[in-house]
Amino acid sequence: MKSPAAERRRPTPWDAVVALAVIAFAVVLIVLLRPTQGSAITAVVTLDGEPVAQYRLDQVTQPETLTVDEAPYPLTISIEPGRICIDHSDCPSQDCVNTGWISRSGQQIICLPNRLVISLSGSEDEEFDAVTG
Amino acid sequence: MKRFLPFLLSIVLLAGCTPQQAATEPAQVQFFAMDTLMSIRVYNEGGEDAVQAARQEVERLDKLLSRTDADSTISALNSHAGDGTMVSLEPEVTQLLSFAKSVSELLPGDFDITIAPVMDAWGFTTEERHVPSEEALSAAMALVDSSLLTVDESASAARLERAGMEVDLGAIAKGFTAAQAEAVLRENGATSALLDLGGNVTAIGSKLDGTAWQVAVKDPQNTDEALCVLSLTDQTASTSGGYERYFEEDGVTYHHIIDPKTGYPADSGLRSVTVISSNHMLADALSTALFVAGPEEALDFWRSRDDFELVLCTDDNRVIVTEGLEAGYRPAGEDRGYTYEIARR
Amino acid sequence: MSGSLQRLTRSAVLTALALALSVAEGLVPLTILFPLPGLRLGLANLVTVYALCRLSGREALLILVARCLLGSLLGGNLMALAFSLTGGLLALAVMALALHLPGLSLFGVSIAGAAAHNTGQILAAMAVLGTRAPLVYLPPLLLCSLVTGAVTGGASILLVHRVPFSSRA
Repeated sequence: MKSPAAERRRPTPWDAVVALAVIAFAVVLIVLLRPTQGSAITAVVTLDGEPVAQYRLDQVTQPETLTVDEAPYPLTISIEPGRICIDHSDCPSQDCVNTGWISRSGQQIICLPNRLVISLSGSEDEEFDAVTG
Repeated sequence: MKRFLPFLLSIVLLAGCTPQQAATEPAQVQFFAMDTLMSIRVYNEGGEDAVQAARQEVERLDKLLSRTDADSTISALNSHAGDGTMVSLEPEVTQLLSFAKSVSELLPGDFDITIAPVMDAWGFTTEERHVPSEEALSAAMALVDSSLLTVDESASAARLERAGMEVDLGAIAKGFTAAQAEAVLRENGATSALLDLGGNVTAIGSKLDGTAWQVAVKDPQNTDEALCVLSLTDQTASTSGGYERYFEEDGVTYHHIIDPKTGYPADSGLRSVTVISSNHMLADALSTALFVAGPEEALDFWRSRDDFELVLCTDDNRVIVTEGLEAGYRPAGEDRGYTYEIARR
Repeated sequence: MSGSLQRLTRSAVLTALALALSVAEGLVPLTILFPLPGLRLGLANLVTVYALCRLSGREALLILVARCLLGSLLGGNLMALAFSLTGGLLALAVMALALHLPGLSLFGVSIAGAAAHNTGQILAAMAVLGTRAPLVYLPPLLLCSLVTGAVTGGASILLVHRVPFSSRA
C-alpha cells in the first residue's frame, strides 16, 4: 500500500501538530530536568589534561566511588550528594587525600604525582574570581 | 519554484538557530608545570593566542628553572657546585638569583634558595616524606648558605662555592614566571587576565567591566572556605602556609616550609601568610620568608617598606590585615572563630 | 531473479548514497554553527524516507543497518555505531508509523523522524555512559530537530517526486 504522505507536496495542518508535539515533549523534558534544589554543581575529573569522569554533584543520590586505575598511583574517589573527595591514593605525598571534601564551585583537589585534578564548577555565580593559598 | 520555498524557509529558520556569542567565557588553559597546577585565563575577546603564548613562556621557564630536570640551567649550576667553575646562565636567571640573594640579605635566616639539600633530606622533593636523622639533617644544613652563591650579573654567570650545595628556586620561580607571563600576555593584547600559578594569583588589569578582581584567601584550617576576599588590580597575591604539603609521623605534623635557621618546618606562630604586591616576584619570595619570620617580624618589615601588603593568619586565630588592603577586603571567617584586625604603620 | 537482482542493486546504490550523504554532512558540521553535541542535519534520513515511500520497510531497514555498519568502518567507533544505530532504528520505526497516519506530509514525517533520531541517540548515550547526564541535551536537540526535520522533509518531497520508483532500473 502507498502512503498518502508520500504523495503530498505541501505541508498539512497535521504537520504542525507533529511539530507542536515535539515542542511539547521538549518543554516537558525541560521542566522535568529543572534542578530540584540549589544550583547545578559539576565535578570534572581530569588525568593529565584528559577528562576521565564527570558528575553532577547536585543530582547524586547514592554515595558512589570511582577507582582511577590508569593513574600512575591508583586512587579512589568518593562521590556523595553535593561533595567529592579523594578517599585513597597510592601517591607518596597524600596531599590530595589531605585536602578532604570539596563542595563549592571553583574548588579543586589536585594530585600532583598523578597529574590529576578534580574541579568543581557551577551555574551559580561564584563569589570570587580566584583563590590564593 | 514553489518547491524551493520550504528550502528557503528552512534556511532562514536555521540561521535563526545560531545562538548569541557568549562573551563572558574567558579563553583558558590548565596544565601542570613547576610541580604545581597552573591556569591562565584571558577575558579579552580572542584571547586564545595570548593564553597559548603565555603557556609556552611558562613551560620554557619551567625547563630553565627546574632542579629535577637534568638539562636545566639550574641543574648545570648545581652540578658544578664546589668545582670553581663560573657557570654561564641566561640573563634572566642571573637576575633571579641576585634577587633571591637580596631577599636573603633583607631577611637574614628567613629565606634561602640554597635550602634544597634540606628539602631533599625531608623527602619533600620527590621521594617519601620522612623526618631525617640528626646526622643527615646536620650534613644537609652545612650546605645551606646563600652567601656562598656567587652571582656575576655583568658576566651573567654564577657559582656555588661548596660541593654538594644546590639551588632550588621553588620559593621564587612562580613569582618570576608570573612577571614574565604577564609581559607575554600584554604583548599579545591581553589587558584583563588571571594567572593562577599553584595558588599564586596574579591579577592582570581589572575585570572587563572595570571592577577589581575578587581573590579569596584560603582558610588554612578549612581549605573549603575563604578566610577573606581581596580586591586586586595589577597585583599578585601569593600565599604560603603549612597546610598544603605536609605529612604526619608519630602523631606530629611536619609541613614543607623549612626554617633555614633550624632545618625544621617553620613554627613561627603563623598558619599562613599572603603577600599582595605589584611586584610579582617580591610577593612570591616574601610569602615564604615572612611565614618563616613570624607575625612580629613580618609586620616590622612591612612598616619599613611601602611596596607590599599582608594578610597574616596566626595560630591563635587572628587575621591581621595591613591598612593598604582595608578598602577592598572583606572578612569571611567570623563564624569559624577568626577575629580580624587592621595593622597600621 | 531479475526482480531480486534489481532490489539488491537498488538497495546497494541507496546504501552508498546514504553513506555519501552522511560523510558529506560530516564535512560541514552544524555544531560549528550551534555547539550542541549530536546535532546534525540528518541527510542520510532522506534515503530512509525515500526507501520507506518507494520501496519497502524491509529494504529501508536493510539500507539503514548497512549504512550504520559501513559508516562506523569508515571512521567512527563502536560508540558512534551504537548512537547512529539506536537513533536510526527509532527514527525508522517512528517514520514507518507516521507514513501510515492520514493527513501528514513528508514534512511532519521527517520532523517526527528527526526528533526520534535525537531521542534514540540520547538514550544510547545514557546507556553507554551509565548516567542520565546526556538528557539535558535532548530538549535543545528536539527544538533543532524541528528545523533539521523540515529541511530534510522538504528535500525528501523533491526526492520522492523527482526520482519516482521505476522498475526499469
